[in-house]
Amino acid sequence: MGRAVVDALERVTNLVALLLSARQPLSLERIGDELAGQYPTGEGAMRGAFERDKALLREIGVPIESEVLTGSDAGRTGYWIDRVKYELSDLELEPDERAALQMAVAAARLADAEFGLLKLGGEGESTPVVVANIPELAALPELREAASGRAEVVLRYHDRERTVQPYTLLLREGFWYLIGLDLGHHQVRTFRVDRIEGAVKVGTPGAFARPIDFDPRAVFPTDPKLLGDEVEARAEVLVDVPRADAVVRELGDEAVLRRVGDAVVVSVPCANRDAFRSWLFGLGTHAEVLAPQTLRADVVAWLEAMVAR
Amino acid sequence: MTPRRGPRPTADRVRRLLVLLPWLMERREVAVAEVAAKFGLSEAEVVRDLELASMCGLPPFVDEMIDLYIDEGMIHVGVPRLFTRPLRISAPEGFALLAAARAARQITGADEQGDSALDRALAKLSVVLGGEGVVVDTPAPPLAAALRDAIIACARLRMTYWSAHSDRTSEREVTPRLVFVDRGRWYLIADDGASGEQRTFRIDRIESLTPTGATDEPREVQAPSATGWFEAADVPLVVLRVAAEGAWVAERYPVTSATAEGDGWRIELPVVSERWLRELLLRLGPGAVVEAPTEWVDLGRGAASELLARYDASRA
Repeated sequence: MGRAVVDALERVTNLVALLLSARQPLSLERIGDELAGQYPTGEGAMRGAFERDKALLREIGVPIESEVLTGSDAGRTGYWIDRVKYELSDLELEPDERAALQMAVAAARLADAEFGLLKLGGEGESTPVVVANIPELAALPELREAASGRAEVVLRYHDRERTVQPYTLLLREGFWYLIGLDLGHHQVRTFRVDRIEGAVKVGTPGAFARPIDFDPRAVFPTDPKLLGDEVEARAEVLVDVPRADAVVRELGDEAVLRRVGDAVVVSVPCANRDAFRSWLFGLGTHAEVLAPQTLRADVVAWLEAMVAR
Repeated sequence: MTPRRGPRPTADRVRRLLVLLPWLMERREVAVAEVAAKFGLSEAEVVRDLELASMCGLPPFVDEMIDLYIDEGMIHVGVPRLFTRPLRISAPEGFALLAAARAARQITGADEQGDSALDRALAKLSVVLGGEGVVVDTPAPPLAAALRDAIIACARLRMTYWSAHSDRTSEREVTPRLVFVDRGRWYLIADDGASGEQRTFRIDRIESLTPTGATDEPREVQAPSATGWFEAADVPLVVLRVAAEGAWVAERYPVTSATAEGDGWRIELPVVSERWLRELLLRLGPGAVVEAPTEWVDLGRGAASELLARYDASRA
């Protein structure tokens, strides 16, 4: 070859080409022969370099298959790449579909999505009108695959190991949640993905069926003020002028109980006391709880504790 | 794509090459500059990696496995032997594409149209990825559609806005430039007519919007990054000690530091307005203490007694 050092890019590309075009699995020895001069000599050094290349390729998603060979190479491991698994099947995206995906990727600003779009033949950058910050976490891709492939996962959460049938991932209020059946509790539970401790173990696909009527939005109410035992609990809150219109816009006209001059009395869910207080105090001195009395007393006690400390 | 800095590891180069080759083969002739821009590389990196790729080869196609040459800034690709199809979509790419598409359905308003192109693209994508498994729930506020239209048209609007800083509603003229969503909250970046400066507004605090009929020059705006979009701003840092129940502050807001201390947390966060900090302290309740700056040490107590006075006065 004449060149002293073969660039790793060239060696790895040749390795992919070799494994893609191989008619049968190739032993390490055969690979070394075919790529003469590109791998270091000596079996240990050659194996080390090959293992690094194999790990690199698997990391970027190249599916390398292996099996134990028979015949003259009996006992050795043979490697190959299955072209059907390697190649992206044609999605046959229409131009408007590709453009819509392009807009979506521009809005989400995820590097992996930009790269995936190039594989789908994406063209040019588009200037987004709306962008979103979507948190990225290492466990998300495999959790999604487990959910779509119906594979059970084992994860550590709040210091305990759980086996979960993952139904879906949900992004809400800037956090990713895994929703699934916790087999230890026989209950559908919600797990914050960023609180999962350590690596997730994924089982074999097709291990369970998701209930047909499963609705992630129902499992997990949108309004945190509804999260609680008394889902029906509601408070009457007086909201003054500078915030009254905004609160009516937020809650809808149906929440308005009555108007007092420019101020408004609204009915607000309060099953979750923490979430309710958070909403209430976000209005500063412009809001006051009128009823129920227990809730009003609760707010007063909270404020008195703050003054007393 | 955004160019990266520093030396590129082999994995990254191989990953790009395996996508770039079929991408080029489909097009046959492409300018080096165009490839550099789309793949987030410098022109020198594109030329180097493609020249290396053209040297790749195995018997019996030693010189013709990847048939390409570069001349006067143009890449020419011949009849392909290998690498005619892109590598399948990896798990991280599949997740990111689905998350982007799902998020975009809501944030770009695509879900308001019936059979949208994005929905059809999502359906095709989910076939290749073996299902979806991603739900995004960031419902658009009612004003989002009007703001998107105004951004595209560069229209100047009259806006009534409640400012948390002054606790007053005021009217101003703005030219909307970008809507962005962060932690479930919706923000508008706009040129403020009075000051001529770029400002960020919370969409849920916009009381009303009306067109003025005027339009302005288009202007591209950089969206803030996920972390630290307050960092650039010159705002005071507040040191808080909160009980264990107050740990949500560190998750909800862009804090500069959060360290466990005893049973609770010591949190440093930038605070844009005193009023905002007052509300935060009311929400945190008796378990929170401001340690610095000194002028805000009693802010929570003051806010609580002011609000308490309101309850005392209305006690019937």
